[in-house]
Amino acid sequence: MIRRNFPRLLIPWFIGAAIVCLDVVLVVRNPGDLDRLLINAILALSAFVTLHARLLSLANAGFMAIGAYTSAILAVKAGLPMALAIPAAVIACGLVALVIGLPVLRLTDVYLAICTLGFGEVVRILIVLLPGLTGGATGANLSTGFPYEVMHQAQTWMILLLLILLAYLFWTMSSSRTGRAFRALRENPRAASTLGINIVAYRNLAFLMSAMIAGAAGAFYAHSVGSLDNGDFRFTRAVDILSFAVLGGSGQWFGPLLGAGLLTALPILLRDVVGASIGFLRGFAQLPNILSGLAILLVIIFMPGGLAAAFGPASGRASGHRRSKRTAASAPVPGHPAFPGLASRGSNAGGPTLVLDGVTRSFGGLEALSRVSFDVEEGRIYGLIGPNGSGKTTLVNLVSGLDAPSAGRILWQGREIQRHPAHLVARAGIGRTYQNVQLFAEMSVRDNIHVGHHAHIRTDLLSTWLRLPREAREEKASREESMALLERLGLADIAGQSAGTLSYGDQRRVEIARALALRPRLLLLDEPAAGMNEVETARLGQLVLELKAAGLTLIVVEHHMDLIMEVCDQIVVLNFGRKIAQGSPAEVTRDPQVLEAYLGKD
Amino acid sequence: MALLEVRDLQVHYGGIQAVRGFSFTVEEGRIVALIGANGAGKSSTLHALSGMVRASGGSIRFRGEELIGRRADRIVRAGLVQVPEGRAILAPLSVQENLELGAWTRRGEPSIRADLARMYELFPSLAARRKLAAGRLSGGEQQMLAIGRALMSAPRLLLLDEPSMGLAPLLVASLFTTIEAINRAGTSILLVEQNARQALRVSHHALVLSHGRLFREGPSASLLADRDIIEAFLGKE
Repeated sequence: MIRRNFPRLLIPWFIGAAIVCLDVVLVVRNPGDLDRLLINAILALSAFVTLHARLLSLANAGFMAIGAYTSAILAVKAGLPMALAIPAAVIACGLVALVIGLPVLRLTDVYLAICTLGFGEVVRILIVLLPGLTGGATGANLSTGFPYEVMHQAQTWMILLLLILLAYLFWTMSSSRTGRAFRALRENPRAASTLGINIVAYRNLAFLMSAMIAGAAGAFYAHSVGSLDNGDFRFTRAVDILSFAVLGGSGQWFGPLLGAGLLTALPILLRDVVGASIGFLRGFAQLPNILSGLAILLVIIFMPGGLAAAFGPASGRASGHRRSKRTAASAPVPGHPAFPGLASRGSNAGGPTLVLDGVTRSFGGLEALSRVSFDVEEGRIYGLIGPNGSGKTTLVNLVSGLDAPSAGRILWQGREIQRHPAHLVARAGIGRTYQNVQLFAEMSVRDNIHVGHHAHIRTDLLSTWLRLPREAREEKASREESMALLERLGLADIAGQSAGTLSYGDQRRVEIARALALRPRLLLLDEPAAGMNEVETARLGQLVLELKAAGLTLIVVEHHMDLIMEVCDQIVVLNFGRKIAQGSPAEVTRDPQVLEAYLGKD
Repeated sequence: MALLEVRDLQVHYGGIQAVRGFSFTVEEGRIVALIGANGAGKSSTLHALSGMVRASGGSIRFRGEELIGRRADRIVRAGLVQVPEGRAILAPLSVQENLELGAWTRRGEPSIRADLARMYELFPSLAARRKLAAGRLSGGEQQMLAIGRALMSAPRLLLLDEPSMGLAPLLVASLFTTIEAINRAGTSILLVEQNARQALRVSHHALVLSHGRLFREGPSASLLADRDIIEAFLGKE
């Protein structure tokens, strides 16, 4: 087995070594290309941050321009030393990113790309329109205005130092709480938000980091090249930067470095080779570009995750393949009622903890929910049933903060939450699962649970970067609690598998485990038994009862009536968005309206 | 000759083997139920039959022809069609457009019009909504539409992957009635279901899959009374 896998394991290292060789050849032939290589690598990292957070931003060239011109102007016109001019330029980029991030980051995908592309062009137009300051369209004024000594003082070692620092920051971040939040955000923003991750804040953080890194690259570029021209920051530059990250792979931080290493060296070396070759090839001036374009195409076709994907998944160490045969043995361990992380409060059934008061949600003219009111008492299990399309999932979305009611109030422990964003609802103690499982499919089962701990880990980025002992402590605690939780649910033997490869039923149970990692007081289960057979469903019912015994309040949406009848204290029945019945299982199953609309009369 | 003859089927996902040498046959005109725990390899088997994943070993002979290595659309043309788990209807298209697309492999044939009428007969609730965007249908209607769309390709063998999933109890009952009606009209059916009891009730023959291998098979009625089966899949009534 090991023998057969050996060559495969070497492929990524071979790719890495090949790229390093290319770059060594590049630099040996012309040492001046080293600065360009390093700056491209830094730019690649700036594109990585946004891509990694699932933001298709093309603003990098614009921020690079801001960084370049700001530092140059401060150095030349204000006479600031480089050690002040460059940080000031980076801060300027950060401020601009914060201001434009607020409106722009509401957009996603291609809309964000177009908008940020526009931003880059606006920056360039401003440069042209302010010739007194920037040298205008020609850029010539600028370079004559800059004394050569002032400008050409950025040494290669400074740029290298910055790149090493950034690599360290990304390396430490990748296995931290922040890194996990970015990965979760990238895979499934909705699920991330209902685990207490503030996705707006993380998107802004990514955009801010990206802007500051691009700004720093621009500032060093200005001080290294010695002259600036607005043409350096065109749309093509933005595309180049993005292709570093895409080709290298946006899954892991070192991917963009590989991409930049390849795409910087390849066109230059090809040009030299073609230039030196026999006459008729020399006629094709575009040949080097065509060939490097072809190389990009080949990598993207054969390695869709980018070069870095060959190194395996981000948290690859643990991707265990030992899926032992699991039979009914994966049932929750009996006689082990405590759930790791859930403080056992006993079943202290008392007063309403969640109150729905006249909740209405209309989509267009259609009322998916219409003046629904009921109270949920602490420590009890509520069933929510009704025909397909009766508004059950809409209700779960409203309570978990993914959607807001058109009218009515939702009170949680006495406080109105109907306008709270999902991450605050989650942090207030409401967890949920989804009708169509929403796991982070490319992350391991264990990492999925880790993300569930997000709200309970306090380590910030600074402590991650400074390697404060608190982080190690918290990470260890989170790892242990995750494993204990998985063991408790009988999922320990699949902890290392990536969640997307699991069978449907296992995915559902992992999703419940992830919701429990949030340590909720109220758990919303949306069709937890869909795709389970009767024995598995019965086992799920047992788990739900054990959760109740541990003090949790539950709302269960289900069509499996056996499950509902067995576990629920109260059942609420919806039909066409209205509550048509509420009561004990016995009461509800006798209700003629319920029989008519839902159960059938047999 | 059996309609479908599967010998020693193997399916791998990367390093994980989901189906480990599964052999079975489906006779013409039958409903065959395929049951088993989560992760037993049921969906993988269906995906291998319909060409959605490529089997890594064994043979799949359908009406005497080998299917392994054939493209999914060719398999539909050969008369084997799958209704995917989770329905996969085309939400922005109308009900009628969804059904018409189901007949893509036989476009131009005059009999399509008659088949369309037959679908509306079989699923009366779709007839009333033929102009509606399919995404606006209820869960049960979407399932009916997915089945109807598959039938529009005029298959000899219909593969159903968990058709009752996520359906309200009232709809589950009518769904299984419909499945029997489709079979009576001449289409053979291979049915994967978590609702094992219902599946055993409507089917003639049943296969029980465990860890990618055939664990038991026999007439459905006898499996309904089998102690092991009851313990593993049915639970107490």
